[in-house]
Amino acid sequence: MQLEYFLLLAAALFSIGVYGLVTSRNVIRVLMSIELMLNAVNINLMAFSNYLDPGAIKGQVFAVFVITIAAAEAAVGLAIVLSIYRNRDTVDMEQFNLLKW
Amino acid sequence: MNLAEGVQFVSLVILGGLMIFSALGVVLLSNIVYSAFLLALTFISVSGLYILLNAGFVAAAQVLVYVGAVNVLILFGIMLVNKVEVFSEVKNAWVGKAATGAVCAGLFGLIGTMVTSHPWAISTAPAAGDKAIEVIGQHFFSDFLLPFELASILLLVALVGAIVLARREFLPDLVAPQQEALTLPERPRELVAAGVRDED
Amino acid sequence: MDSANIAAQLNAGIILPEGIVIVTIMTIIITDLIGGRAVTKWLPYVAIAGLLLAVVDLWGQWAATDPIAFLGAFNGDDLSVVFRGIIALSAAVTVPMCIRYIERSGTALAEFLAILLTATLGGMFLSGADELVTVFVSLETLSISSYLLTGYMKRDPRSNEAALKYLLIGAASAAIFLYGMSLLYGLSGGETNLSLIASRIAEDNAEAPIGLIIALVFVIAGIAFKVAAVPFHQWTPDVYEGSPTPVVAFLSVGSKAAGFALAIRLLLTAFPMVSEQWRFVFTALAILSMVLGNVVALAQTSMKRLLAYSSIGQAGFLMIGFIIGTDAGYSSIVFYLFIYLFMNLGAFTCVILFSLRTGTDQISAYSGLYQKDPLLTLSLSLCLLSLGGIPPLAGFFGKIYIFWAGWQSGAYTLVLVGLITSVISIYYYIRVVKMMVVKEPQEMSDEVKAYSDNDWALVGMRPLQVSLILAVTVTALAGVGANPLLQLANSAVAQTPLLQRSVLIRNAEIAVQPGHESTPMANDAVADVAVSSVTID
Repeated sequence: MQLEYFLLLAAALFSIGVYGLVTSRNVIRVLMSIELMLNAVNINLMAFSNYLDPGAIKGQVFAVFVITIAAAEAAVGLAIVLSIYRNRDTVDMEQFNLLKW
Repeated sequence: MNLAEGVQFVSLVILGGLMIFSALGVVLLSNIVYSAFLLALTFISVSGLYILLNAGFVAAAQVLVYVGAVNVLILFGIMLVNKVEVFSEVKNAWVGKAATGAVCAGLFGLIGTMVTSHPWAISTAPAAGDKAIEVIGQHFFSDFLLPFELASILLLVALVGAIVLARREFLPDLVAPQQEALTLPERPRELVAAGVRDED
Repeated sequence: MDSANIAAQLNAGIILPEGIVIVTIMTIIITDLIGGRAVTKWLPYVAIAGLLLAVVDLWGQWAATDPIAFLGAFNGDDLSVVFRGIIALSAAVTVPMCIRYIERSGTALAEFLAILLTATLGGMFLSGADELVTVFVSLETLSISSYLLTGYMKRDPRSNEAALKYLLIGAASAAIFLYGMSLLYGLSGGETNLSLIASRIAEDNAEAPIGLIIALVFVIAGIAFKVAAVPFHQWTPDVYEGSPTPVVAFLSVGSKAAGFALAIRLLLTAFPMVSEQWRFVFTALAILSMVLGNVVALAQTSMKRLLAYSSIGQAGFLMIGFIIGTDAGYSSIVFYLFIYLFMNLGAFTCVILFSLRTGTDQISAYSGLYQKDPLLTLSLSLCLLSLGGIPPLAGFFGKIYIFWAGWQSGAYTLVLVGLITSVISIYYYIRVVKMMVVKEPQEMSDEVKAYSDNDWALVGMRPLQVSLILAVTVTALAGVGANPLLQLANSAVAQTPLLQRSVLIRNAEIAVQPGHESTPMANDAVADVAVSSVTID
């Protein structure tokens, strides 16, 4: 039964991430929500790796790649947030309306 | 359930609960600084879960990269975008939030039903255990060599690009004519910005 | 073990074209670092040379005897060769467009080229990625470089905003896509190779488990974002309007081609058990994209937004070839992508040229352009009419091939929707052409009145001209001389084992299900063929 606990935790974390993604007004909080979703994916991968693939542990390798790329994505995301803040002086999603959705 | 399993189960409950509550705090609290620190707590409890899953190396990587780099980066972002911003109210925002909450609960229900009902093929193969780091290293230099090398290019370009975007351009027209000897070229612009903020 | 031995074991020669691109990226970054401003003006030519060299080398990879490289991580079959060629070519045509644009905007050219080439590299690896981790890393290489390119005009708030929206939506869709991939990893009991995933799932389950359907939905969300299919298209118009125009040109062709390559490989290899379901989902996406893309384009006032919606519609047409899944269907995608590359890039080159001279992208500003600049008017008209599918331009032949392939395999609804929406699309393309050509001198817009075209001697204008003339010539003549292209597309499909397997199954399906009336018995027969073909591998 252990595997299912981890998968349920991952599903819960993913759903929380989706909720934060949709409802947040602050851009930085949206970035945090995306990190939550990526962590949910990692828990999934690690749980599968431990219970279904304990010898080859490809899931752990996959998770390392996800961590690496999430860091790169966060760095690029914050660079973009900084440059938009410099021009617009706000981080409110509702204010970014130069381009209509 | 013997003692070891009992301890594992209790730590699973504690770590899982900690993770869920801090993640809820990240998305629900109104103060962004609290959210950032709770995000660190989420990352740490996730790395605890990894240790329960016999993955010490990834747990360490999780703490180093997520808490040490990503979270610090986010905190820096919050400090640089240092502005107490009162977001203007959007009418009937709660309707959207309730609908989103319902959809997310539905998503959780769907995935939850799927993972509990699926007959997972639990493997009985011998576990890598403490040799996990060796196995991971072998993967990196055999069947995952291509993504490993590609990731290095990706990191290089992300580095270059992030610097290009975040670097403040030297704008000669904004620099005050007489500069003191030891001030940085961008100093006057900072002072102007700070002055504006004080007036608010 | 010596290095030659290792290279042979990895079969590293397959990724030589990508290696050339990597070397070019490094050359650009390091030369710019050492040489400074003196060498910057040569860097675009280095980039073009590298990309063309990669295309030439891809030509040498044609029909490779052993296409599997890096222990199964990369598959250099002919399908991937064609798509890698399209992506590299689209970047090679984009580079000459951007020289003047970057010069005018006052940003650094070398970093721009390096990031553009990295995006190309990601797309090229994505076209051949045969394993989940490689798929993910190359997809993110493409995406992260695209976010950076989108926000490259950092002093322009519209560019910032476009980058932010692209990044947030892109990262979210990547996370959803990744969740689907993690489910695939679990469902297959710990496999990351696409074909092993399919065979393991087929071994363990008699019929498709519900988890596979959920994984499919998540994966489709990621793919549909990349190809900008409705309803995952909301980012497209904003990003196209806000970002630098050369970047839009690349995104609309290179990034979209990479998305289609990913869709074909991932869905055909990893999801044969639920092929009926994904065909159904993609049918819905294709119809929505064709209708919404082409109808909303009617109301646009900005040229870049118009081309954004038109590209959504074009993605819908391309999806027809993919849904029907026959030989003709796949080769029609390849053929149309080749033509789309030149006509769309040609149109964007014209938009760049016009906005460099007038500083605007509004459609109304184009009125009366014919009197001032007949060359630009002619080029833009040819490209737009070709996009609309007017004979005898190239776009007509591309569209007719897709529709013919669809009709042959009985996808009547899709073809009818496609025909009706392409008639609609002709209207808005013609509207722009009419505005440029037949206006009286007094109705000329202010921008056109102040127009002058004697700036060809300025830095970066000659390459722009070359790229414009190349794109327009191909657009005008590719339809007439289409035979070699068609043969290329056909043999690419015929020589790709992956496609041939699925075409066999698909033909059996079409044979036993005339007019898509499915009977339980026929389904069983099809399932048998599917399972046996999967286990043979």
